[in-house]
Amino acid sequence: MPPRQIQICDDDPAAALITQRGLQTLLGENYTVTVASSPNAAWLACAHGDVDLLIVDPGAGSGSASALVRAMHAFRPTTPILVLTAYDTPGLRAKMRDLGVSYYAAKPIDFKELLPIVTAALQTVPMPSAFPSRMSVYH
Amino acid sequence: MGELEDLRQRVAELEQRLSEVHAQAETVEREAALQMTRAINLNARLSVILSLSAALPNSRDVDTVVQLIIREAATLFPGTSATHLFLVDHERNTLILRASASANPCTIITHPLHGLPGKAILAPRAMLLVGPELELTLNELDPYHLADLRNSMHEWPPQSALIAPLRVDSQRFGAIVLYGGVHAHLYHPRDIPFIQALADLAAVSIDELNQRTRAAALQRDLALTQSLHAEAEARLNTAQAQLLQSAKLAAVGELSASVAHEINNPLYAARNSLYLVEQDLSADAPERAFLTIAQQELGRIARIITRMRDFYRPARAELAATNINVLLRETLELVQTHLRHSHINTMTELSSDIPVIIAHADQLRQVFLNIILNACDAMPDGGDLRVRTRMLQARYEAPTTIEIDICDTGVGIPPEHRPHLFEPFYTTKTHGTGLGLAISAHIISQHNGRILLESEVCQGTTFSILLPTNQD
Repeated sequence: MPPRQIQICDDDPAAALITQRGLQTLLGENYTVTVASSPNAAWLACAHGDVDLLIVDPGAGSGSASALVRAMHAFRPTTPILVLTAYDTPGLRAKMRDLGVSYYAAKPIDFKELLPIVTAALQTVPMPSAFPSRMSVYH
Repeated sequence: MGELEDLRQRVAELEQRLSEVHAQAETVEREAALQMTRAINLNARLSVILSLSAALPNSRDVDTVVQLIIREAATLFPGTSATHLFLVDHERNTLILRASASANPCTIITHPLHGLPGKAILAPRAMLLVGPELELTLNELDPYHLADLRNSMHEWPPQSALIAPLRVDSQRFGAIVLYGGVHAHLYHPRDIPFIQALADLAAVSIDELNQRTRAAALQRDLALTQSLHAEAEARLNTAQAQLLQSAKLAAVGELSASVAHEINNPLYAARNSLYLVEQDLSADAPERAFLTIAQQELGRIARIITRMRDFYRPARAELAATNINVLLRETLELVQTHLRHSHINTMTELSSDIPVIIAHADQLRQVFLNIILNACDAMPDGGDLRVRTRMLQARYEAPTTIEIDICDTGVGIPPEHRPHLFEPFYTTKTHGTGLGLAISAHIISQHNGRILLESEVCQGTTFSILLPTNQD
């Protein structure tokens, strides 16, 4: 069984690196965690490969990240998305909820708390012919 | 003989001369008596004018002036059948009869600008009207006015009339009209200076009263304008202060939100780096202690950042049913160690009538904590802290308010600091940020409440928080 794929999209290099290394360490070799520094690069990775979870930080200007979320929703509806953001506001939460994002966490979250959310997201059973049932796990 | 005849003739001549001289003397005497009467008469009139000129400046209103003029006119011109005094109504361009003396009162008080009063006001000075000129002028009046005028007098038609304008410089105030009786020579040209004097006195007095009234009105207007101006200025100042305050708060809010967001990424990286390091460390490694401290401190920074950001952005979702008494007890528990170390006795008087309100509990707790910690700072040598809650209601069925009093027996707040207490960045503490009370006031105003302050230097300070109960 090939390792499962987690794609991170974060323009803050240190934060992206820590997320990648942390998840890789905590989840083990059954997962491949990769980083894209822009929504474009992340979209390319998701469009070509079999991504099992997209972790995205919409950043200060959430425009292109929102576009990525919309594109995923349209073309890869079975891929769960976790928004992990340093720019948490009620507005952003509402916007992401409206875009159909099921998992949301605000930095500076501890790995101890982040890990269960990532695990839950990965356990969303992909149903090829239908949208995954949305959960309302908002952190 | 002839001599005797001569003498006789002489005597007769002398006798005739004597009688002639007698007659002459009699004439002179009569003339003298007449002149004397005239002099006395003149004297009497002059003294009337003098006493009038002395009395008029003391008159306080136009009515008194016109009544006085009418009364003295009767003294000055005996035998007059009617005296009328008119004042101009500039707005309606008419003459209004303000006072009169006649057998029967005139019922119509407004006259158009014609007839005797019309002629009088247009005249450059006092005039005596007799004969056809008088008749012509009287006939200018319409029949209704004429009938009214006739009814007001015993004798009709008047054979003479004295008229004079009331004027000061080029300003005309009105006219005075005296109707003589049927006797043609009641008025004499000698009367003209007297009616002129009467009219001038009246005009000057009325002018002065008008000026005085206008000056008083201007004074009143000025005072009113000044007070309005002062009020507007005060309002402007308040508004400006409020604007400044909210601008400062907004700036602080924006700054803290952006700082909070920018810090989140490095904080996340630092915290979780430590977590990853910890995973690789053996359970008994001596570095573990420091690692734990570092993690705890980073956690504290994270909490501070979150709190700072949330102060300025109350999320609607956090509104919940809140029990103020419970909140106060929790807050006091939080600081009880601190209070004990500072030798501060705590007394609570929490009313059991306080209803549950919809509020941001965390924010209110922050306000209570802030004020309680301020109270502790004010009592460096210990003291009493009293926390009291009670319900306020102005009258039956009025909206109810919860009052939370936090009193200390500390150093008090000097009066010069009081106006600035709730301004952001205003602090008297060496290590204060000047944000505590500003944020507290902001939070309370978000709850539609108010914070009041009472303080006595060296006696203590009471902060009263008023929160409306939400009974919509």
